[in-house]
Amino acid sequence: MSLWVDKYRPTSLGKLDYHKEQANQLKNLVQCGDFPHLLVYGPSGAGKKTRIMCLLRELYGPGVEKLRIEHQSITAPSKKKIEINTIASNYHLEVNPSDAGTGDRVVVQELIKTVAQSQQIQSSTQREFKVVLLTEVDQLTKDAQHALRRTMEKYMATCRLILCCNSTSKVIAPIRSRCLAVRVPLPSVEEVRTVLTNVCRKEGLSLPGELAKQIADKSGRNLRKALLMCEACRVQQYPFSADQDISETDWEVYLRETANAIVSQQSPQRLLEVRGRLYELLTHCIPAEIIIKGLVSELLSNCDGHLKAEVAQMAAHYEHRLQLGSKAIYHLEAFVAKFMAVYKKFMEDGLDGMMF
Amino acid sequence: MSKLSIERKPSSSKGNSWVEPAFGDLFGGSERNLLSTRKTTNARECRKRPTSSSKQPLKRKGTSQSRESENALRKDQQCQDEPWVDKYCPHTQADLAVHPKKMKEVESWLKSHIDSSVQNTGGAILLLTGPSGCGKTATIRVLARELDCLIQEWSNPSTFSEFKTEESFRQSFDPESRFNSFSGGSQTVLFQEFLLRANKYSPLQMLGGCQTGNKKLILIEDFPNQFYRQPECLHGILRSFVKTGKCPLLLIVSDSLSGDGGSRQLFPKEHQEELGICHISFNPVAPTNIMKVLNRIVTQEASGSGGRIMVPDKETLELLCTGSSGDIRGAINNLQFLSLTDCSVQSSFWAPLKNKPVSASSSRSVSKGRSRSKSTKSSDKQDAQSQAIGGKDASLFLFRALGKILYCKRESCSEPELPKLPAHLSEHRRDRLLVDPELVVEKSHMSAELFNLYLHQNYVDFFADMEDVARASEYLSDADFLTTDWTSRCTMREYSSSVATRGLMHANAARASTVTQTCTGFRPLHKPHWLLVSKKYRENCQAAKSLFVSFCLTPFSLQTELLPYLAQLTNPMRNQAQIAFIQDVGRMPLTRHHGRLKFEALTDKEPGLLDLESDEEDATLPAAVTDLGLAEPLTAATDSPGELPSSQGASTDLPPSQPQPTGAQALLDEEEFVIEEYDSD
Repeated sequence: MSLWVDKYRPTSLGKLDYHKEQANQLKNLVQCGDFPHLLVYGPSGAGKKTRIMCLLRELYGPGVEKLRIEHQSITAPSKKKIEINTIASNYHLEVNPSDAGTGDRVVVQELIKTVAQSQQIQSSTQREFKVVLLTEVDQLTKDAQHALRRTMEKYMATCRLILCCNSTSKVIAPIRSRCLAVRVPLPSVEEVRTVLTNVCRKEGLSLPGELAKQIADKSGRNLRKALLMCEACRVQQYPFSADQDISETDWEVYLRETANAIVSQQSPQRLLEVRGRLYELLTHCIPAEIIIKGLVSELLSNCDGHLKAEVAQMAAHYEHRLQLGSKAIYHLEAFVAKFMAVYKKFMEDGLDGMMF
Repeated sequence: MSKLSIERKPSSSKGNSWVEPAFGDLFGGSERNLLSTRKTTNARECRKRPTSSSKQPLKRKGTSQSRESENALRKDQQCQDEPWVDKYCPHTQADLAVHPKKMKEVESWLKSHIDSSVQNTGGAILLLTGPSGCGKTATIRVLARELDCLIQEWSNPSTFSEFKTEESFRQSFDPESRFNSFSGGSQTVLFQEFLLRANKYSPLQMLGGCQTGNKKLILIEDFPNQFYRQPECLHGILRSFVKTGKCPLLLIVSDSLSGDGGSRQLFPKEHQEELGICHISFNPVAPTNIMKVLNRIVTQEASGSGGRIMVPDKETLELLCTGSSGDIRGAINNLQFLSLTDCSVQSSFWAPLKNKPVSASSSRSVSKGRSRSKSTKSSDKQDAQSQAIGGKDASLFLFRALGKILYCKRESCSEPELPKLPAHLSEHRRDRLLVDPELVVEKSHMSAELFNLYLHQNYVDFFADMEDVARASEYLSDADFLTTDWTSRCTMREYSSSVATRGLMHANAARASTVTQTCTGFRPLHKPHWLLVSKKYRENCQAAKSLFVSFCLTPFSLQTELLPYLAQLTNPMRNQAQIAFIQDVGRMPLTRHHGRLKFEALTDKEPGLLDLESDEEDATLPAAVTDLGLAEPLTAATDSPGELPSSQGASTDLPPSQPQPTGAQALLDEEEFVIEEYDSD
């Protein structure tokens, strides 16, 4: 039994539930024969990968669904060995080069080279190119992106690239201009609701419209999250009731509690407790950027309008630090401490104002 | 044999009076043990013998009629040659420069265990630690003499059997070769045999000494190298010793700052507890005690030598004292070096230094009245002076270095001529610091990043006001930011530690002046969590990636979406490792306040290295609070129990809240994960 997310993932462009216009365009793109490099971008949970897989199926037929996980080891010119997992079919190769860390340039070059150097066996019946799918392109180092630019041109004859990322802002302009950019926006709440209801119907469950709407709202239109939530709700309670609690992830609850702890008391002791909680979040694999983002959104909803601008600016400052610095905890803690100080001052001033 | 040695010695010194062959002693002083030989040669190398030049023509004759006079000279010279460390080696407890309390502690242990060993209660082990030259061995020797004990000491055999080539092995096994010098086994085996024999049999009465009964001590100061690499090996041997031992075993380990080969590595805490090792740690000898000993030596020498040595004046002695940083052996050696008359370098060397304020206390009191720049200059000079004597590099244990920064002692200055800060900046007014932060960091022998981590772990306890904490944390953030770029890191590192230390000290407004500083108690210091946390984070991310590769997700959505929800679903996983991992990582301890992180107290004299694997709770307060020197007396802490950090209390109250299934960890051990070099993130 696999997850609903995987089980009911549409497999062809025609079966996609939303953005049908775009699906049609992609279909036409495949049929017209001249297939360019693609840069697919959009927020997480919008269905980029699903769309790409549908596209590949459109290109090569059901053969692309026979996936195999391969463990490749690449030797860099500096004799350093880089190990990386790839997912491949006979027609395409998927890799997340940012797994290789700073060695991503080598990975990009070597993998594309090996794929591109082998011709398709039956070029008469098949396409004459293979596809390399790179995910998380925005996480690539600048070095690797520049290397990619050259590689793209060189192997254009035998290989097409599909790049997948969340935002194009970290992708260098030369790459952007070499690709056909396809933006996959988030589905609307209504669309999420339809998908949820459909999935539940296929599972043989009846999902109340109210609950579907709530899940869609709570998921932030992230379809993957919405489906996982829905499945968690199913585990929690069935038959569904309209006012059922929608289970959140533990870390979100934990983060909210942390934010509450910050707001409820501002003292060095509390800061120590918060530090412990931050460490706890980090050990549970929650990236520091997510932590600061979550904290800010929770804290902002708790503080006065006067403070909001200041807090947001502080958060931006420390997130910038976080990106540049090496040890996240310094910056996370500095943000919390700063917020505590500002908030405390604000509350005390407020009290004084009330008294006089 | 003795004649031979007498002849040989002058002839070798004839050729080169400066450098004596180190093995000269081996012929002359075979009754000395190895250790003292080493000392002797060391001391000799750096000395010129005043009489050697005048004696040389005499010796050159080398005829039989001059032999008698030569013998007399020889005796005289030997007496003078003998290093003062050996000459004035303590014979009674009163002579020892060690603190009487420590001595009593060791004595009572020895007394109780020597007696009880008669009843065969198994071997007891005492571990003595302390910086080099603080009198550990001397204490043992004096006490053993007073208690009528024999000391059997292990010294590493100087066989080279390990380094033999295959060729020489074959030779040694060759039945025809006469010198079958192949000595059995490695040092470890020899060591084991030594312990066994020393334990079972009493020593032979070779020297015809009086029978001292069955009282015996085994002393180990010189550990076979193998044990530094594999402490478990030593533990095994000791374990069997504890079971079968009949006499007390003494282990002496010098503290080292660099952290390698220290007592912590050889004898980890849990091992000490397991074997019931009693641990007594020595402090550096107090300057007053060193001074006393030096004075005694100087007066004895002056009266005995009849002008052949120049007696250093009191100021020089004080300088020696401060320069030795508690190493009495070094101090005596330096004293002997200084008091030689014909050392022409020395007089000019000392001349410019003599008319300056020297001792730490006097320089401080003098500088109090002067302006800031002058006082720092004089303290600089003082440093330079103490270095110039050839004293030890002063160094600080991490515990103290952190204390110096965090307690940031200041002195009141009431000079009117100092320009006052304008009114709008008056909140930034601080009294003068008593410590130089850069110097402290330098003396702690740690990288700036690690030192900053330690500071970060501990600074919050020392602050009372939220504004101050915010400012301090910003400085720490700045410090981290400075060392971001790896190309400039080695340069920026120093600035970063400067920013962090000075920032912390300045931000602590509650400790801005001496008046407000008084009311802080002792705060326990802890080891930083960050290294453990970031390691765990990386490991977990790696594990997640490899366990759930079939979901084809980016790490981001895998960690924040899939894993937490999988933990809530009843979806059957494919294998046990995945289930365990999900339980471990996907779930958060929502009900509890404290997670798996425990506070690990940083104790005095602990090297600044982190063993990331150590997981045991170590909540004991550092025993050496009293010798912290910079912490306020403990009574202050009892005055304000509410101020004691709640975190420490909480962590001891709560049961260890580690989630039970640790299958992921086991998996991490089994599978080989490739964790790339983590040079910058």
